Amino acid sequence: MPVKKRVGLDRVQELYENRDMRAKELKAEGRTVMGYMCCLAPLEIMSAAGIVPIRILGNVKEPVTRADAHIETIACPYVRSCLDIALKGKYDFIDGLVVPHTCDNTYALYAIWSSGIVPITPKYHHYIDGPHMTFPTSVEYFDVELGRFKESLEEFTGNKITNQKLTNSIRLYNRNRALLRELYGLRKQGPPLLTGTEMTKILVACRVIPVEESNELLGEVIAEIKNRRAIPTPKTRLLVYGGEIDDTALIELIEESGANVVVDDHCLGVRSFWHDVQVDKNLIHSLGARYILNVACPRTYKQRERGYKEAMDNRFGYLMEFAKEYKVKGVILYIIRYCDTFELDAPGVREYFQKAGYPVLHIEDDYSVTTIGQLKTRVQAFLEMID
Amino acid sequence: MVEKSKTTAVHSSETVRKIRFFSRNIHDKANKAKAEGRPVAYCMGGCAYHEILEAMGVTSVYTEHYGGVCAAYRVSEPYLIRAESEGYANNLCGYCRNTIGFDIVRQELGHMPEDAPDGGIPAPDMLLSCSAGCDHRYKWYQATGRYWDIPTFSFDVMQIPPFDTDIKAIKPYVMKYQVEQFQRLIDFLEKLLGKKMDWDRLAYLVKRGNESLWTWYSAYLLRKHHPSPMPSEDHFSAIVPAVFDLASRETLAFYRELYGELQFKVDHNKGVLDQEKYRLLWAGGLPPWHTMAIINYFETFGAVFVMEASDYGPWPFFDVPKGMTNPLEILALRTWCQRVEYWEDAKKGCGHSRVQRILNRIEEYDIDGCMMHLTRSCRYQSLGQIHFNNLIQKYVNIPLMFMESDIVDVRDYNEADTKRRVDAFMETVDSFKRKGGRQATARR
Ligand code: SF4
Ligand code: SF4
Repeated sequence: MPVKKRVGLDRVQELYENRDMRAKELKAEGRTVMGYMCCLAPLEIMSAAGIVPIRILGNVKEPVTRADAHIETIACPYVRSCLDIALKGKYDFIDGLVVPHTCDNTYALYAIWSSGIVPITPKYHHYIDGPHMTFPTSVEYFDVELGRFKESLEEFTGNKITNQKLTNSIRLYNRNRALLRELYGLRKQGPPLLTGTEMTKILVACRVIPVEESNELLGEVIAEIKNRRAIPTPKTRLLVYGGEIDDTALIELIEESGANVVVDDHCLGVRSFWHDVQVDKNLIHSLGARYILNVACPRTYKQRERGYKEAMDNRFGYLMEFAKEYKVKGVILYIIRYCDTFELDAPGVREYFQKAGYPVLHIEDDYSVTTIGQLKTRVQAFLEMID
Repeated sequence: MVEKSKTTAVHSSETVRKIRFFSRNIHDKANKAKAEGRPVAYCMGGCAYHEILEAMGVTSVYTEHYGGVCAAYRVSEPYLIRAESEGYANNLCGYCRNTIGFDIVRQELGHMPEDAPDGGIPAPDMLLSCSAGCDHRYKWYQATGRYWDIPTFSFDVMQIPPFDTDIKAIKPYVMKYQVEQFQRLIDFLEKLLGKKMDWDRLAYLVKRGNESLWTWYSAYLLRKHHPSPMPSEDHFSAIVPAVFDLASRETLAFYRELYGELQFKVDHNKGVLDQEKYRLLWAGGLPPWHTMAIINYFETFGAVFVMEASDYGPWPFFDVPKGMTNPLEILALRTWCQRVEYWEDAKKGCGHSRVQRILNRIEEYDIDGCMMHLTRSCRYQSLGQIHFNNLIQKYVNIPLMFMESDIVDVRDYNEADTKRRVDAFMETVDSFKRKGGRQATARR
């Protein structure tokens, strides 16, 4: 009897549990698979070259045992986790590694992973230098870097990335973004049509399959959710802001404590997909502008034109908008220890929300199920305080 | 067991001894500028803008420097705690936590804290940061902006490119962008101060800055001598003029004097120790400003840190091409040359320029052992040390120890544990030396 293809949320669950499953199948079919870090990697260019980009995820459930022989314990624990599971063979199937310049931690990780002295160095590795500033010339600088990246992929794959291919690819990703935004829209109502835990699984699933499949899957998921009978019970509505969240452990703990996580801004969430890429004459420039100007990551610096208050509005106004639009009652800051960019912003973000009347819980965590588990009492107390 | 020396008299540099006053003078100049109503900026090392600020009449206060000074006087702790109580994580850069805490305490008191070393630093009129090196460099003043609601500007300054970069391909646009970024800083300052850049003065200051850096560089080549004329504890003081006061006349005078002193010592075979038994390399990490005396503990074994391979080092010579007259281009070229200094060697060698710097210095300075300081609050200087060691050992079999503490936060330092590590390390260095010293490994 043929195995029935799983669809919708069922398929999401399957991909969430077996994150390398699809990439390995595609690899067996002869496709080139590349791992990438962070929200600054231009996936459109990779897909246009016929590559399957998959996001390098860590594993909060896996204790770090191998990475310590290569990277210091004061590194971001997410980065340590990625290296650790890679050293354990988890990413053996990737043909290439793409790391954009995000932070000191990914810079260090790239040097190790692609050094050739660890057994995991893939055939192809490329570092994209992203400027931290957002001047027009910074975007131009990034354009040149993207152009070089494109050429190097062409050389590696032997596939010419034509304008047409890039246009198609951008359209596919914009479609993906639109679908994700639509899905987020289903969380605006009270109660939300899907839980934060479900959303986390969907976000993970979408990052480990090709964009065409991701679009198809999202279509199925949206239809399924729109038609569902049993909707989540209304609880305290929260926004979660922070770094890498690629496991349900934290969101589940929050939701089990009596909340609905209805919107987020973290590395797999809103930050990675909210803004489209414009399809116009200079596609590389459109990509450059989107990744440098629109990815609201603390690693990207927005000039401060006027006073502090205006600067905060300029940097975090979008987040406040989300809070209002999604009618949240409180905000949780999930900051990964040793992530300096987020840690330096966190007290300011906390104050920004508190001044606007939102209770804020500022969590500093080690990106591990054990430490996440210990947050239960604090989360419960926070929710009691809101109620 | 490795023996401790009977006499541990350390002959430090006479020139470097003056740094206390030099450093004090930097802060005096800033406090005076403030009192006289001249603009003062909070600044960061590595942004390569010192001459630009000086030419615009802006007095710079390097907040990293002040962090180090506070640590050396061991007055940082209350500042660190104050910053942490605001929600700044206790693993953020010690310089940064120190100064944020200092700013808060000063604002709360309404005057300079009484125990502020060097009479304190003045309240800034602007915050000028950049993206060179670490993430703190452009994030720190965003945080500081909560306490100082004053004009703020940040710009890009190139990083050390990752080891596998094709530097010939990137040089043209990296340089172009760098020059443009400096120009943007000037535009910002001109608008803010309502005055124009004095380009002739800038050209003059850049030229003098180059000369200071090159004199410093030449002086350090003399440290190859046996016995070494100058130890790392002096180096970490000798960086002050170049990193925090590059444009001044006094800085050039300082390095000239240092050069003269080291040349004299080399000519007369005067070493740091009367009996230099082991030559060590400070192979990475920043100094533990709170406990610099730990370096003397190595000296009790007859070991001298004769050289460093950290990013706080002298900048290399470079040729200013004929016809290059724009001082911003020269500044960009200077920065470029520093960032890619060991590139060509690395291509022929281990592949990684920062590691190649260590490997080269091990040979050139005839090193018996290396030490890296894992600075808990500085990811930029600390991440990669284990990897570097793994790579080093592929090329040369040499003892290497890791010391763990922090630049500023003495709470991260355990003296007994550190000394135990040093004891064990010196045993290894000694036994290596007895067996003929460091050995090139097969891959070299
Ligand atoms: S979580 Fe922070 S430190 Fe870690 S990779 Fe992301 S930006 Fe870098
Ligand atoms: S390099 Fe390290 S010590 Fe220096 S400012 Fe950055 S984080 Fe702090």
